[in-house]
Amino acid sequence: MKRHSLLTIIMLAVLILSACAPAATEAPPAQPVKIGVIYNLTGGMASLDVPSANGAKLAAKEINAAGGVLGRQLELVVYDGKTDAATIGNAATQLVESDKVIAMMGFSDTDMTLAAAPIAAKAGIVFVTSGATSPKLPEHVPDYLFMSCFGDNVQAAAAAEYSFNDLKAKSAYLLIDKGMEYTLLLGQYFKERFTELGGQIALEDTYQTGDKDFSAQITKLKGLGTVPDIIFISAGPDDVGVIVKQFRDAGMDKPIVGGDGYDTPLLVEIAGPGAENTYFTTHSLMDPDLGTDAVKKFITAYQAEYNTPPENAFAGLGYDTVKLLADAIKRAGSDDPKAILEALKSTKGFPGITGSITFPPGSRIPQKGVTMILVKDGKFTLAAEIVPEKVPAP
Amino acid sequence: MTQLQYLAQQGINAISIGSLYALMAIGLAMVFGILRLINFAHGDLIMVGSYGALLLLVLGTPFWVAALGGIVASTIAGLLMERVAYRPIRGAPDVSMLLTSFAVTILLENVAILVFSPTPRAFPTPSSLNSTFRFGQLQISRIDVVAILVAVILLVLLTLFVTRTKLGISMRAASEDLLAAHLMGINVNRVIATAFAIGSIMAGVVGLLWSARVGKVDPLMGFYPVLKAFVASVIGGLGSLAGAVLGGFLLGFLEILLQGLLPSSLAPFRDAFVFVALIILLLFRPNGIMGSAEREKI
Amino acid sequence: MRSQRFFNLLTLLILVVLTAGFLIYTKVAASAYIQRVVVGLAISIILVVSLNLINGMTGVFSLGQIGFMAIGAYTAAILTLPLSMKEVNLPDLPSWLAQVELSFLPATLIAGLLAVIVAFLVGLSLMRLSGPYVSVATLGFLVIVQVILVNWDKMTRGSRTFSGVPPFTTLWWAWGWTILTIYIGWRIARSMYGRRMIAVRDNQIAAKSLGINVMRSRLLAYCLSAFFTGVAGSLWAHFIMSFSPKSFYFVETFSVITMLVIGGMGSVSGSILGAVLITVLSEILRNAERGIAIGPIDIPPVYGASQILMSIIFILVIVFRPKGLLGGREIDFNRFWSWLLPKRGEKAIVPGKEVS
Repeated sequence: MKRHSLLTIIMLAVLILSACAPAATEAPPAQPVKIGVIYNLTGGMASLDVPSANGAKLAAKEINAAGGVLGRQLELVVYDGKTDAATIGNAATQLVESDKVIAMMGFSDTDMTLAAAPIAAKAGIVFVTSGATSPKLPEHVPDYLFMSCFGDNVQAAAAAEYSFNDLKAKSAYLLIDKGMEYTLLLGQYFKERFTELGGQIALEDTYQTGDKDFSAQITKLKGLGTVPDIIFISAGPDDVGVIVKQFRDAGMDKPIVGGDGYDTPLLVEIAGPGAENTYFTTHSLMDPDLGTDAVKKFITAYQAEYNTPPENAFAGLGYDTVKLLADAIKRAGSDDPKAILEALKSTKGFPGITGSITFPPGSRIPQKGVTMILVKDGKFTLAAEIVPEKVPAP
Repeated sequence: MTQLQYLAQQGINAISIGSLYALMAIGLAMVFGILRLINFAHGDLIMVGSYGALLLLVLGTPFWVAALGGIVASTIAGLLMERVAYRPIRGAPDVSMLLTSFAVTILLENVAILVFSPTPRAFPTPSSLNSTFRFGQLQISRIDVVAILVAVILLVLLTLFVTRTKLGISMRAASEDLLAAHLMGINVNRVIATAFAIGSIMAGVVGLLWSARVGKVDPLMGFYPVLKAFVASVIGGLGSLAGAVLGGFLLGFLEILLQGLLPSSLAPFRDAFVFVALIILLLFRPNGIMGSAEREKI
Repeated sequence: MRSQRFFNLLTLLILVVLTAGFLIYTKVAASAYIQRVVVGLAISIILVVSLNLINGMTGVFSLGQIGFMAIGAYTAAILTLPLSMKEVNLPDLPSWLAQVELSFLPATLIAGLLAVIVAFLVGLSLMRLSGPYVSVATLGFLVIVQVILVNWDKMTRGSRTFSGVPPFTTLWWAWGWTILTIYIGWRIARSMYGRRMIAVRDNQIAAKSLGINVMRSRLLAYCLSAFFTGVAGSLWAHFIMSFSPKSFYFVETFSVITMLVIGGMGSVSGSILGAVLITVLSEILRNAERGIAIGPIDIPPVYGASQILMSIIFILVIVFRPKGLLGGREIDFNRFWSWLLPKRGEKAIVPGKEVS
């Protein structure tokens, strides 16, 4: 008897839940212009994606307050990718099929982007990633995949040139996270450009994403005898604070250099005074005093909407991507995905708050400047705006 | 630094990490000894303790109060866990208990993600703990010293407890044969609750030391520690307290030495080597180093 | 009273017709989204039924089966990757491999075979262990596979995304393999081999005393499970088309274990039920958590709620039905038939009077 009742209850529950079929999959009214947005709001990538999604939603709100796009309201159809490839594929399929979006965007990570973009491409819809910086991305999905952020080869080259020219570094210690595509590529490009300039890699070491203890690597570095001029650590946002802290605690006080993975409040929060004298490349300086006027406006609006200042530059990237797409739709003059594709391809000088976006002919990676940030007195300050002279091939 | 100094420094690193692993492993071993339950949710007790302390620190309480608060939080969580999730399934096959602990882990982690957000938060370690002692070329951070001292003190206290006090001896009896202990008049519920309490206190302490060392907390922080604790207990022999301690230090040494001594090309394979060593150990001593072969009743 | 065999065949026929009907309907009438879910379901079923062979039937609780899925996925993907993509993505492949481009079936078979070989070699040592010790050892296997995948750049691209895998997995391929797996799982369960495995699980010493070779039984289950898990890996790789080592680690392991536990360990139909329920439920919850309207009430999106609900359901099942929904038994179709059809000697119910 018990068995039957339990089974019955489960079946009833399933039936009831499916009866509460979400309004989201009903065919919505044709009026609003719909952009599909997929971010990993839960799971391992949430610390970058949640701010991106927030930035995106803020942008849509502002656009609608100013009259919308093509005279219609802009609607963002948001899905949580849950940092899971199958879920992402399903969400992308739903966006194309049931929600009938005319453009798609999302993600700060290559794997995730590649789970969704091909589905968009197959339906003839553009996919713009706001935060996945691998310059190899557009190759994987021809024609339809665009990046609204610079590529890792660009930011690594900027870091290498700054280290060599401005920090006068002749030798470097390299620590690379082997567990992520982003950190692997970033380290590789840095090494290539730095050695090309004439710098020397004194020692190269690795760790695994999520490692908590770096005493072994630090000891190895100390065992070298000579002290390299800079320490380049290719790390993701969750690990960078811990690593910097441990290196500084061990007495390593040469400049530490890194990429946009450092763009997180955790760097200063965790490393404390150890974060001083740390340089990193990112998309823009999100500082209410030191940022550009556009950035200041964004910070104020974000704070008003979400009760917290933007957590990192990725919030700005999400914001810019929505505005970029809206701009492309405006220039296309219609909501036809093909027209949008052409308009996007020919974007020139779009004034994003993370930098001006121009797609060189034949390229779907924008030409954007790199912001070099120095941590001073516990705050992010502007060290330089860099356009690298030479960029390693993807 | 000379080769000797290099080895000495790595040795110090190993002892520091080993102490933490040992404390974690003891928590697991206590519960396994009596209930034959591998409590995967032990990692989440570490997380609860850390967040508890974090909340108090953010509110401005002095570090020692917050530390105590964190330990209290994890102890309450552990006792709740025992009462709500594990007591109802006592006596179920080992596998069910393991699975229940998975379920509890997943639930706690997801709730924490919802409540605290998945973004890691900085753990404000007091500056008194942040400095480093240096002896010539060697160094050890204050936190590591505290960790080792705390580990030693707790181990001594625990040993006294299980050998000198009535409750402690009852626990050892329950570990050996739960039914017989019950028949001898030992209050089994109390013994089990005590085991969980002690394990949770250990988890809370580990949570504090770990967060202070690493500098941050996040909802999934307990996952890797509990995995290490599991491996350490198995190395030492599940159910044996001394084995847990031994396993913890061995694991710490193995990890640090492999990371430090393997050539750069092989260093990334460190975790693989650790597990290969574990498997080889198990083949020769299928019950761990100090585990006794369990007598199977036919 | 018709013979038992007749009813078994009839049941089988009905199941086959229903399944075929369901698949045809899905292909023809359902949306692309639903088709994706159904393909994903097929792969999940293969994984859970294979897991059941080792975890459910032999009592060896392996935490490392996803390692075989990874081996299957990477092997098949490397073999089917078009030559031009190989040049770009895997420039350092040994030359004999760089020339190879296979079609789906041979690649999948080789993937499964490689998984079996690894399982055999690994199993020779691991299957000696029992209880929590074998669980830790198999967990070690999972970690070792992960570490190798992350570091053997030449073959796997390390942590970098492995993409460009041709989308060979169709509804038919996925379900073809699923039906084969279910069939083999079912046959093994009812065969002498299956009974030996269960005997070993229930009481190792008694089984030994009956002359059953414990090692052989376990090894058979382990290798068979590895084969189908490897095949599932290949199907998966050609379904999502891009992946990396972290796609085959702890999250997937827990997911498959959840399905097995909910359905009932030791039962093939339980495995299928678990896979179906979890897949359907998580999709429903995932759509629901985006914000639903029940009548006039608008519930705002709570992302992450579906994971919490799933874990609560998991706990409820473990606490109230520790052996799973089907209690470790198979769905008994005979009960259905005896309920449906009149039997000799049964009380006839005639309105007005009882006649015996």
